[in-house]
Amino acid sequence: MSWRRLRTLLRREMLATYRDPFTMSILIAVPLVALLLFGFVLSTKVKHMSLGVHDASDTPASRRLVADLSASGTFDPRPFATREELEHALVSGTVSAALVIPPDFARDFGRDLGDPTPGSARPEVQVLYDGGEAPLAGNAEAFLRALITSSGASLAERHRAGGSNSAGVGVVTRALFNPTLDGVPFMVSGTFGFVLSFLTTLITAVSIVNERQAGTFDQLQVTPATAVEILLGKILPLGAVFVLDVVIMMMIAGVVLHVWPHGSFLFFVLVSAFYVLVSLALGLIFSATSATAAEAVQKTVLFSIPLVQLSGFAFPIRNMPAVVRWLTELLPATHYIRLSRAIYLRAAGPIALLPEIGFLVLFGVILIGFALRTIEARG
Amino acid sequence: MIIRTRGLTKRFGDFTAVDHLSIEVEPGTIFAFLGANGSGKSTTIRMLIGLLRPTEGTVEVDGIDVIRHPRRVRDRIGYMGQKVSLYQGLSIRENVEFYAGLYGLAGAELERRWGALRERFALSQAEREKPEDLPAGIRQRAGLALSTLHNPRLLFLDEPTAGVDVRSRALFWELIQDEAGAGVTVFVTTHFLEETDYCDWVSFIDAGHLIANAAPEELRRRYSDGYRVDIEGVPAERDRLAALLPGGRIEATPSGLQLVLPTLEPAALAALERLVADHPGTRVRIEQPSMTDVFRRVLAERAASGGEP
Repeated sequence: MSWRRLRTLLRREMLATYRDPFTMSILIAVPLVALLLFGFVLSTKVKHMSLGVHDASDTPASRRLVADLSASGTFDPRPFATREELEHALVSGTVSAALVIPPDFARDFGRDLGDPTPGSARPEVQVLYDGGEAPLAGNAEAFLRALITSSGASLAERHRAGGSNSAGVGVVTRALFNPTLDGVPFMVSGTFGFVLSFLTTLITAVSIVNERQAGTFDQLQVTPATAVEILLGKILPLGAVFVLDVVIMMMIAGVVLHVWPHGSFLFFVLVSAFYVLVSLALGLIFSATSATAAEAVQKTVLFSIPLVQLSGFAFPIRNMPAVVRWLTELLPATHYIRLSRAIYLRAAGPIALLPEIGFLVLFGVILIGFALRTIEARG
Repeated sequence: MIIRTRGLTKRFGDFTAVDHLSIEVEPGTIFAFLGANGSGKSTTIRMLIGLLRPTEGTVEVDGIDVIRHPRRVRDRIGYMGQKVSLYQGLSIRENVEFYAGLYGLAGAELERRWGALRERFALSQAEREKPEDLPAGIRQRAGLALSTLHNPRLLFLDEPTAGVDVRSRALFWELIQDEAGAGVTVFVTTHFLEETDYCDWVSFIDAGHLIANAAPEELRRRYSDGYRVDIEGVPAERDRLAALLPGGRIEATPSGLQLVLPTLEPAALAALERLVADHPGTRVRIEQPSMTDVFRRVLAERAASGGEP
């Protein structure tokens, strides 16, 4: 490989890319729009959910529970005088969830206080929600249970201070890594995989086929430039832009959506940079094996359909049939999204992620090798 | 021979694009490879420069087996495709620097080489312009200049004058002839049959088959009625002309005489000059057989002999 030739190829690709306002705007705007779109619009986060409350107890303990729910910012409690009114509001959609505090709520606390037997009666509340919006309802229910548990435990603690051994209210629930069950970090960390996979293949898919149609690729192939130099000349400048994209996306996700990686920022950028190269190589294969730009774009779109459905970006892989689960493992994006979420949500480091990194390296070797063969191909 | 193919064949599935083609090209000549669209010209040129692997046969370019060592010929050849291979968005100068970089040309050497080409190809004013902003003729000249930047021993030109106006085509062929004059072998495909007048050797290809292969004059002699010479005002000279131009056919016309000669040898031209000198006021008009007619005749004879037209 000649460094001088590689430098020449890199310079031309950079000039061509950076001087093309359309390509540059796609490269910068699409990731940011996708990030904000998925972060804001597709969020399953429970925030300011309208919560109808029928407090039949109307005691300091029940009012304390409602005040705690209101203070969390997750729910906006609205009082209802009767249970019928509350159910009507739920059916009409005026409220998204409902909380019914029974008349004997405080009495149960009192009875519990005086009853030393384990498993004795505990105060109970009833939670009603609209199950139509399953993901949101699931999160709302879980969060409501967690809040009530927390608030109830606090109430019990007060009674315990007075000499009782109260067990508190309801079931103890705690979500690991994402205690507020906020869907934004999950979507953001997955969006990196979706955007990088789709955009890298789309941008490179048209690159070689366009050059072929313009005649410049033939010209390039009869120069002393080798296939490795041509491949690197194509993917390194675009890779640099996409790595910059990753950094910008991370900053925007942090500043606008308040989602920062729990793990190493640098490790995430390095993993993303490698994935970008793998994905660019896949785009080059689409391009080099297509007769027209339209065919290359069609291949990219066809590739992107399973990308959304099978990579784990939108739907959990563990719920898929076994055969489909095997198929998902054949997508580099599946492994990158796992890595992304592990670093973003669980602060995982390189050692813990070695198997997934190994898969990505394996895909890289295969795809880059195949891309080289397609560039060298002589019909 | 600087180019030699033996039984060169390329099949795409059931379709045979080039069928057992055997040609030889002498160094320093302009070799025209003619044929209709889809006849196999571009497929052949792509096999010769190592862009396409033949299904059968051998290809040798400048002594190198192109099938086994396609990369080895790259320093020795220049190529200009049907679409002029200039990168849009880059100026002509930036295109020059790009291709020069790939061939290892830089600094003073590049300035000297490009300076000479810029003058010869009249590209000084276009140097800072982008290809998309230039007329087709200038783009073609720039493309040719780029393909000769590294001083190749062979130039492969695939329909270089397609889409270019007549004046630019003539200028372009002058430049090609200059290259040949400097010792470069030029292998050129074209479907402008009259451009063979600029060439030393002509091969016709039809449906992948080589159907004629000779010098242009030889093709005209074999596949046409010959040169037609109309002479006005000297009917009495018929016998003298018949004696001076053996092998020709001579007939009287209402305005004078008409000669039909298989070739236009220097002796015939000298005889005609003497005739004009002896009979002031005599007008002579020579009509060369068109290469289009030659091509038609070649196709017709091939069809008559049982081959596909």
